[in-house]
Amino acid sequence: MLNLILKFVSCSRATGLRISTSEVLDCFNQLKLIDFLDEPQFAAVLRANFAKSRREQFFFNRLYDLFFHELRQEPNIAQSEPLSDQVRNILQSLASGQDDDGAFQAVLDFLGGDPLSFFEQMQPASAAGNQTGGGMSSNLGPMIQRLSLMLQINAAGDALADYLSAQRDHLPWEIRRDLKELFDARLASARRLLTKERRPFGGKTRKTVSYQQHLDRLGEIHFASLTVKEVEGMREVIEQLVRRLKDTLGRRYAVKNRGALDVKKTLRRSAGYQGIPVELFFRKRPPRKAKIVTLCDVSGSVWSAARFMLNMLYSLQECFTQVRSFVFVAGLDEVTNIFEDHEINRAIEKILKEADIEYNAATDYGLTFRQFKKNYMDILNKKTTLIIIGDGRSNYSNPEEQILDEMRERSRRVIWLNPETPYFWYSGDSEMRTYQACCHEVRPCQNLNQLLDFIKSLVL
Amino acid sequence: MKFKSVEHVRAGLAKADYICSKTIATVVFLAQATQKPVLVEGPAGVGKTELSKAVARSLQRPLIRLQCYEGLDESKALYEWEYAKQLLYTQMVKGKIDDVISGADSLSAAVDRIASQEDAFFSERFIQPRPLLQAIIAPHPVVLLIDEVDKSDPEFEAFLLEVLSDFQISIPELGTRKAVNIPFVFLTSNDSRDMSDALKRRCIHLYIDYPERDLELEIVKLKIPQIKSRLAEQLIDTIRKIREMDLKKKPCISETLDWAQSLITLQVEDLSAEVVRDTLNVICKYRADVEKVKEKLEKLIN
Repeated sequence: MLNLILKFVSCSRATGLRISTSEVLDCFNQLKLIDFLDEPQFAAVLRANFAKSRREQFFFNRLYDLFFHELRQEPNIAQSEPLSDQVRNILQSLASGQDDDGAFQAVLDFLGGDPLSFFEQMQPASAAGNQTGGGMSSNLGPMIQRLSLMLQINAAGDALADYLSAQRDHLPWEIRRDLKELFDARLASARRLLTKERRPFGGKTRKTVSYQQHLDRLGEIHFASLTVKEVEGMREVIEQLVRRLKDTLGRRYAVKNRGALDVKKTLRRSAGYQGIPVELFFRKRPPRKAKIVTLCDVSGSVWSAARFMLNMLYSLQECFTQVRSFVFVAGLDEVTNIFEDHEINRAIEKILKEADIEYNAATDYGLTFRQFKKNYMDILNKKTTLIIIGDGRSNYSNPEEQILDEMRERSRRVIWLNPETPYFWYSGDSEMRTYQACCHEVRPCQNLNQLLDFIKSLVL
Repeated sequence: MKFKSVEHVRAGLAKADYICSKTIATVVFLAQATQKPVLVEGPAGVGKTELSKAVARSLQRPLIRLQCYEGLDESKALYEWEYAKQLLYTQMVKGKIDDVISGADSLSAAVDRIASQEDAFFSERFIQPRPLLQAIIAPHPVVLLIDEVDKSDPEFEAFLLEVLSDFQISIPELGTRKAVNIPFVFLTSNDSRDMSDALKRRCIHLYIDYPERDLELEIVKLKIPQIKSRLAEQLIDTIRKIREMDLKKKPCISETLDWAQSLITLQVEDLSAEVVRDTLNVICKYRADVEKVKEKLEKLIN
């Protein structure tokens, strides 16, 4: 029992769940208290201790199924004991025939019912993405890793088939049939693990599609199809809206401001009245403000949406402690200074001219995330709201979603605004499906109404 | 009173009008046995808060509730000195203070005398306990519900750690107060942000999802006994179909119950497209959602 669970824990860790020793201890203590032969109870204890968020539960459930159901000796085989000996013998003889290749051995272990090393082999496949960045930005690295593991699975399958047919004279056919069934099932589940290592989709990420209609005409036009004249009109409208929003905010803070009694001030003033506290003073509580970090894709159509959002954010700057902005195409540059030094509309023009960015390059989100991680990761903290504006079209390069995941860990909320119509989000080279799983919220942002709705939910 | 087994939890909660799955019962039982807090997550309205109320009812313990919100600080969650009362008392007992210091021959002697009395003003009399302190100093065991903990700030969350792992609170003027009885703690979260690992490590995690069909049916029948089986089944099937749609806010158990209640009030015997259209406002709380469901109404009923 002890070994079984410890093995399960190390497998879970290899697949990326973070389980601390104290949680393992808790789990053992709790197992003593329940009837662990009753599977729902057993599973509940493990789940309650090892998977402590909705996102982790997906991985946990899959691993649990694999570990406690698929990899056990198949129940339809009556004489399981001699068979497991057979399995061990076969795997040993196969292993001795090979020069020591980690991946192949891992596959054999998996076939023997121990998935740990297989998971470890799988893991570098996704971790390697971190290092391979450098000059070449592609997702070939991890893919090759995965491919070689896949080849090893096939090789193991072939070797097994050869072995079994070679043993035709030594083993009775029932055992051969059972063995073949067992191995085929396990090979299939190994393949499934490799190919289907996808995130749960939709699970917990909030997708806000509907919105209030604040403005009839200007509000409904897609950002990309605004004429020059309409852009001018837009500025005025935005100014008005921002002013109204500030009023609402001001009123709210005025009410909320009263804090605890300020003893020092009250006593000091009471000295004037022979020590009688006639006037009471209260501490003013500074309004809590969010810190905002924006990452804007400035390639092509996305830019038209991004500029309006930046415009609004900076007009509302006093509602936040800090707004830091970055623009990217393939590579990242901070443009906070430009916004601080110039009037908003000039700043937007200036960015297009001066930011240190290759505007003609193909968009690469993976590279952008890598650069962000390298240079700016420490500006994210639990008070930061990270807003990313982009269509998620990464030209088939490595999406690096694990970096986005790391960014999520560090910040309070991650919100993705997509200026494309939701209908096209998951087509072609769009990585929206991948990124969506890492965000707290995704929203389409195509016109002023949707943008306004978002800004409102952000500051109010 | 204490729960003795997982089955006992289930029976006890059912008696308190809360029907739960085996997972929930197991976690509640373990939380009690190991005296650990439970972190309950799940979509809005699946009965996270209700669970803690039901546990309080079935264990016959009082429920102390702390509602979290942005800007919640220690003075609202823990305790607060009643300054106004202290000032008032100082004024009223001024004469007495003169008595105390009369006869002191030097200033420092007078200060010493007052210092020996100062506990009078920083004592339990002038402290106003807030939910967390209330739960710690309560003479009888209580159930403490920390509702929507994800709405609070990270600072508050860090501060909760001390309370949840040691069940003690330090008040600088009075010393450390240790729990007389370890409270049964529930934390609920709507996942508006991820909780820190440190907090999660101290808790047993429980995810409550929308209930299975049979379980929900049972709940409806329990809460609204006069409902007919046929109507109840139709109702549940429709609700489950609506939940599968892409809505802004999916209908949860409390909406199911509200709906059932209003159907009973309207004396509906059979669920038709017409009836659903008229009562849709009970289930869907956004206009966009109502429109969306109306479009698919025919499919839902068949």
